[in-house]
Amino acid sequence: MHEIAWFLPAWPLALEELVRFGALLLAGLLGGEVVYRVAGIPRITGYVLVGVACGPHALGVVQGPLDAGARVFIDLALGLIVFELGHRFDLEWLRRNRWLALAALGESAGAFFAIYGGLLYFDYLPLLAAAAAAVGTATSPAVVMLVSHELRASGQITERMLLFTAVNCVFAYVALTLLLPLLHLEHALGWRAAILHPLYLLAGAALLGFAGSLLLLGLARWLGKREDRQFILLVALVVLVVGCARALNLPVVVALLALGMLARNLDDDHVLLPLRFGHAGQLLFVVLFVLTGAGLDFGNLDTVGAITAVFIVVRFLGKAVAILALGRLSGLRAGGAGLLSLSLLPMSGFAVVMVHDTAFLYPRFGAELAAVVLSAVAVLEIAGPLATQFALKHAGEAHPEA
Amino acid sequence: MEFGASQSLSVGIEIELQLVRAHDRDLAHEAGDLIERLAKKKVPGAVKPEVTLSMIELNSSIQTSYAGALAELEEQRAVVCEAAGVLNLGVSGGGAHPFHDWSERRVYPAERFKAVTQRYGYLAKQFTVFGQHIHLGCASGDEAVYLVHMLTRYMPHFIALSAASPFYQGEDTSFQSSRLTAVSAFPLSGHMPFVPDWAAFVEYFETMRGYGIVEAMKDFYWDIRPKPEYGTIEIRVCDTPLTVRRAALLAAYAQALAAWLLEERSRVPSPAVYQVNAFNRFEACRFGYMGQLVDPYARTKKVIGEDILSTAAAVMPQAARLGCVEAVRELAEGVRRGYSDAGWLRARLAASGSLPDVVREAAALWAKPNAAAA
Repeated sequence: MHEIAWFLPAWPLALEELVRFGALLLAGLLGGEVVYRVAGIPRITGYVLVGVACGPHALGVVQGPLDAGARVFIDLALGLIVFELGHRFDLEWLRRNRWLALAALGESAGAFFAIYGGLLYFDYLPLLAAAAAAVGTATSPAVVMLVSHELRASGQITERMLLFTAVNCVFAYVALTLLLPLLHLEHALGWRAAILHPLYLLAGAALLGFAGSLLLLGLARWLGKREDRQFILLVALVVLVVGCARALNLPVVVALLALGMLARNLDDDHVLLPLRFGHAGQLLFVVLFVLTGAGLDFGNLDTVGAITAVFIVVRFLGKAVAILALGRLSGLRAGGAGLLSLSLLPMSGFAVVMVHDTAFLYPRFGAELAAVVLSAVAVLEIAGPLATQFALKHAGEAHPEA
Repeated sequence: MEFGASQSLSVGIEIELQLVRAHDRDLAHEAGDLIERLAKKKVPGAVKPEVTLSMIELNSSIQTSYAGALAELEEQRAVVCEAAGVLNLGVSGGGAHPFHDWSERRVYPAERFKAVTQRYGYLAKQFTVFGQHIHLGCASGDEAVYLVHMLTRYMPHFIALSAASPFYQGEDTSFQSSRLTAVSAFPLSGHMPFVPDWAAFVEYFETMRGYGIVEAMKDFYWDIRPKPEYGTIEIRVCDTPLTVRRAALLAAYAQALAAWLLEERSRVPSPAVYQVNAFNRFEACRFGYMGQLVDPYARTKKVIGEDILSTAAAVMPQAARLGCVEAVRELAEGVRRGYSDAGWLRARLAASGSLPDVVREAAALWAKPNAAAA
């Protein structure tokens, strides 16, 4: 026995990161398929549920952050989604359809002020309520993008859902960033930081996206219209922008949205081919959502459940007001406005990051308010994809066989 | 079956149009949204749904002159483009979308189209091709039968002049018009039988109805067919051109040609036109103006382009009376230069390097007021 033990591994096994990554992928795949077959629930919700089951609140298999290697996959998955969302932002459309532009802004502003008002009613400090409202304004780019991919959805509700999501994500980040000076002053960091910090964040992210888009368009022109080459180029630039944004302490999502939006709207000579992410993209998204699920925090639902419910309801109503009011004027068919409002329900997983960032900078952000936002994220990560799927299917925009 | 009364040589135009998405230039599924929006607008003629949600059809009202038809089409074009812009949809001419995947098509939710899909299966979705139909008013059923027989000899002209579907499912087909191949798959495509007059035609129709093969004239997918409800004959071989101008030019040529045939009456219809029809039709689809045409009356082979030029010259007196001399001349001038919409599309691919760019440029051309491609 002893003479052969030298080539056997030590026990317990030191499982490599790759094993963990592969196992998560497998679990997500199977979980997504099971909920889809059994209950007709979107696979994304299945991935999230698998994540919840594996997370610290249940089995505890997934704890702590992944190592750098796996992190690249996640960043790439998110980067591609957010870039694609930005790339669907069509300035020409908004120019032709002013009611639509107004509805998009109204949707963001409506959600913001509805949540703000709701939280004030519960006696939160105005500044903190505003920060939470800003976080809540954003719809999840990952969820709307993935559900529409999964359903192979195409139509007015789908297009507008993606457009409004791009707009409310930008709105959320800009609003949160503009609140920074007030938070800074509150914490007596001085006026210099109060002005320079938000300026650095917004201008920096925009400039980074701008530089990336120029590089992207220039190189795409040189490479020519070949889908395979352009795809590699795109992946390279998305990863570069994520990396640079992180190194420079800039908001990654804003930089990516800027990259996508500018790549679309500065491409006067149409050098960039239409995007098509195949199965490779899907693969990344499974792990993304399993990890999102593992990171969800249901722990506070018993204490802040009521406020969370109010948060979710006023957020939905706030989003719906402008869409319902301007739906017909902006060219939606009868019944479309309600479905569009519903499709925008998913709350951004980035909210988790935003909350942690804000809470880190300002401990007085309040444990309780953070708990409300995080509970809302947890509920909507599960219910949101259902709402989006329901809306797109009832709008008749899902592929009949999807 | 009564042949309805209509003014001889009046013209009606139907064109089927592509709806394309802004972000990837693939076909959209939003005909329903667009038609609902247009229902509230003042549009001359009519806008109708077609078998899949990626198409709409414009119908002109009854016109008597080229100028009137062009003006109305231009007005329709402007209204439709404006409404489509609100929905971020592109509208484009052309006989086929260059790279759409037919299996992605969704059938328009109406009983008529569901029945077509049930009956024809995948053919219904593959039928997402875009044609121009030209109605010509006839004084009587006998006149209609005569014109159908006589015009059949000239169908290759219309195929070559309108050809605008060189690409299909992402490939260059090498055809000038690949669209007609999709029509040929239907069991009731082809041509009208060689009947001597309207009474004989009605007898044939009743026999087919008796077998339960057809219920109405619309069940025949012939290249050219009588339309007794309207009192017209309907030329159905044309691809939808890239501009309304060309659509009006084609209608003007049809009008002048029919006038000439009715006036000359120099020839008696011969069943031989239907013997050579399949060959002529293929030549026109594949090679356009360069194709060959067997003239069963003269018993010779001709080059389609040259045959168009000599016919255009022959119909000038009638064109003059109908007010479309300039139109026929413009069409002939294009033939001399070798211009076709199919060629225009191929040139766009050569210049831009991708089919989505071809679609974008075709939609931009359609969106331009009073556009003429060259």
